[in-house]
Amino acid sequence: MEADVVIVGGGPAGLACALRLSQLIDGHNNSNPSAPLSKENIYVLEKAREIGQHCLSGALLDPRSMRELLPGFEKEAPLDAEVTAEAVYFLTEKSRFKLPIVPPPLRDHGNYVISLNRFAKWLGAKVEEAGITVFTGFAGAELLFEDDSVVGVRTDDKGVDKAGQPKGNFEPGYDLHAKITILAEGPRGSLTKQLISRFQLDRDRNPQTYGVGIKELWELPPGRIAPGQVIYTMGWPLTSKEYGGAWIYGSRDNVISLGFVTGLDYPDPRLDPQHVLQNFKQHPFMRRLLEGGRMIRYGAKSLPYGGWWSIPPVSGNGWMIIGDSAGFLNSQRLKGIHLAIKSGMLAAETAFEALRAGDFSAAKLGLYARDVDASWIRQELWPVRNFHQGFEHGFWSGILHAGLQQLTGGRGLHARYASHSGHRRLLRLAALDGCADPRNDGWAKGDGKLTFDKLTDLYHSGTRHEEDQPAHLVIHDTAICSNRCTQEYGNPCQYFCPASVYEMVDSPGAPGVKQIHLNPSNCVHCKTCDIMDPYEIITWVPPEGGGGPNYDGM
Amino acid sequence: MKILVCMKQVPQKDAPLKLNENGSWIREDVSYEVNEPDAYALEEALRQKEKHGGEVVAITAGPARASQVLREALAKGADRAIHLEDPAFVTLDALNTARAVAAAVKGESFDLVFTGLQSDDYGFAQTGVILAELLGWPHATIIMHIEKNDAGIRVKRELEAGFFQFVQMPLPAVLTIQSGINKLRYATLIGIKQAKNKPLRKVTMAEVQAALGPNLQVLEKLYIPQKTKKTEKLEGPASEVAKKIVEKLRNQARVL
Repeated sequence: MEADVVIVGGGPAGLACALRLSQLIDGHNNSNPSAPLSKENIYVLEKAREIGQHCLSGALLDPRSMRELLPGFEKEAPLDAEVTAEAVYFLTEKSRFKLPIVPPPLRDHGNYVISLNRFAKWLGAKVEEAGITVFTGFAGAELLFEDDSVVGVRTDDKGVDKAGQPKGNFEPGYDLHAKITILAEGPRGSLTKQLISRFQLDRDRNPQTYGVGIKELWELPPGRIAPGQVIYTMGWPLTSKEYGGAWIYGSRDNVISLGFVTGLDYPDPRLDPQHVLQNFKQHPFMRRLLEGGRMIRYGAKSLPYGGWWSIPPVSGNGWMIIGDSAGFLNSQRLKGIHLAIKSGMLAAETAFEALRAGDFSAAKLGLYARDVDASWIRQELWPVRNFHQGFEHGFWSGILHAGLQQLTGGRGLHARYASHSGHRRLLRLAALDGCADPRNDGWAKGDGKLTFDKLTDLYHSGTRHEEDQPAHLVIHDTAICSNRCTQEYGNPCQYFCPASVYEMVDSPGAPGVKQIHLNPSNCVHCKTCDIMDPYEIITWVPPEGGGGPNYDGM
Repeated sequence: MKILVCMKQVPQKDAPLKLNENGSWIREDVSYEVNEPDAYALEEALRQKEKHGGEVVAITAGPARASQVLREALAKGADRAIHLEDPAFVTLDALNTARAVAAAVKGESFDLVFTGLQSDDYGFAQTGVILAELLGWPHATIIMHIEKNDAGIRVKRELEAGFFQFVQMPLPAVLTIQSGINKLRYATLIGIKQAKNKPLRKVTMAEVQAALGPNLQVLEKLYIPQKTKKTEKLEGPASEVAKKIVEKLRNQARVL
């Protein structure tokens, strides 16, 4: 199938890109009725069964880019509340200390509490109304290359059984030959990963670093938290060796969004981010807040922290990268949706120029990279270019670096702070001195009211996959799991996966030996395994389109 | 063969349901999907058409969101679709729903009408049967196989305990289809694209109102069952405890 533009991923970046492109084409066609451009062959691929089902974020929306995309959008978009009050707390196990002032990056007045799921659904409807085809239930499985160009995308095969054999209803993936392929897959996109590796786009860049956000939606008795009230916490249950913190956003109808982001660069391989969230809720402050409430939804998603120095080249022959796939996220403000939208709009503007000129070369699409540099994306990300790296040696030195950077326009002590891939910071069990960290005592048990084990949480993510299909978590050498990893790291996949996809079970052939067992149907598509596995032997590939979590209302 | 497939949009099976304010139905903020047996009914219609030629028409009743099931049907190969579009269609009982469907297709001459065996939400399993009555056609339920022959069709019905019944029936007829009768196909990219240009006729409530009567069956109140749990500790020597357990399982839990 021939296409002009294929956008892979129907999140905020991809949808904003599609909508902006449609606006530009409409404008062009109105003023040039004799030489119209067609929207017929512009497609968005979305692996979820419906738009928005795989969209997960806190979420606070900085409205800046939306105001550019759709002036007056506030009147019709599903915004749950305008932020009216913020507070930042530092937690110890039993106490909390309120920061006397809210640090400027965390001042959120004028932002909106949203459900990214509902927001994406709304934006997706706009895209479809504009006449652009969104193929839901279709994942981008492979990039199509010709020499040094990307010439399109192959979608996923459907109807393949566990053993990889075609079933009666087998449908092979399509080759969508596209003049421009825009990657909007979210963090750690699987096609983006192929692209980066093929063209070595990470050369001269800092490695991308990530966090994983574990989120629960709670319904509380009335009056606990006002709509638009925002609370951030730092500290407990993480120690100064780990990066992360919690958010609590008051939404409407007595619903709150509650979550914990754990930096995927922690040293102790037994750390379990889902367990961290469960511990966090046992803090006296949280216990009081949640008492009598009910957890209604669960989800998890990684986010790119690396910042400016980690962003790969964002365009080349026939391709552009937008949103979280490129790493457009402000880790200091903990916000990326507005940057995703803006990068999508800029890519659309370049795609439009390229379509008009019939030129899809790196030179032409390089306009996008230049536009990013000239836009407020760079203005916002440049001053925080060294922010996250400052925390590589722990919380307190991070605070110090952040302060220095604040005073020096983002520079701090070095022009460019280096960073390291998070999985390289995992310590071997032997290096932990045998000191048992009481926080890392295996999977959370859960009391069923305040805290939950992983499977209970997972149930609330609405995750569903076709069972009879090949595992989409590809472990390239499972012998490493049983031999080296058990010895060296104690199989951290069991802990970092927030959906119990990875289990070590008794090996039927060899008594006393554990082997890896996968539950791919549990996967919530957070990509943590692809990021955090210490041997880099896990590759996350998209499962059959339509499978995955259902983040309704998240 | 010209086949009408009645399809319903229902809340996703594992959707976390919340009651609406007056407890008459659920809140709308959940994901919806095609009622499972209706998807099999559509697939069967497409297969019959592929074998014998003809036309497949999909129909649904419900608010604007319900057009999604029609788009899916068109993408998979239905030729055209009819949408009885109004949120109020959701509140009709089986009789009125059947009346509305019958009114919407008046003047068309179908050979077969397929419905799913029952809906995943209300679960009445009546609409198809009543529709047959309104049309004055024979019907058969829980269909597992359909074979066209000179005298009409021969169908296989699923009975209880692994039994099947084979019925020869004339056309036109209404069949309610059981899940698993076939293997569902996937919508293709080409199909999804072509679906945009296939005819989708909208029918308003006003157009079929004259055919409807008062609901004979009304959902008065929905409630979430209270979960109760009782733990009893049986004490004493093992042999006595075992006896007590057996007695409880037999007389209280009634599982033995």
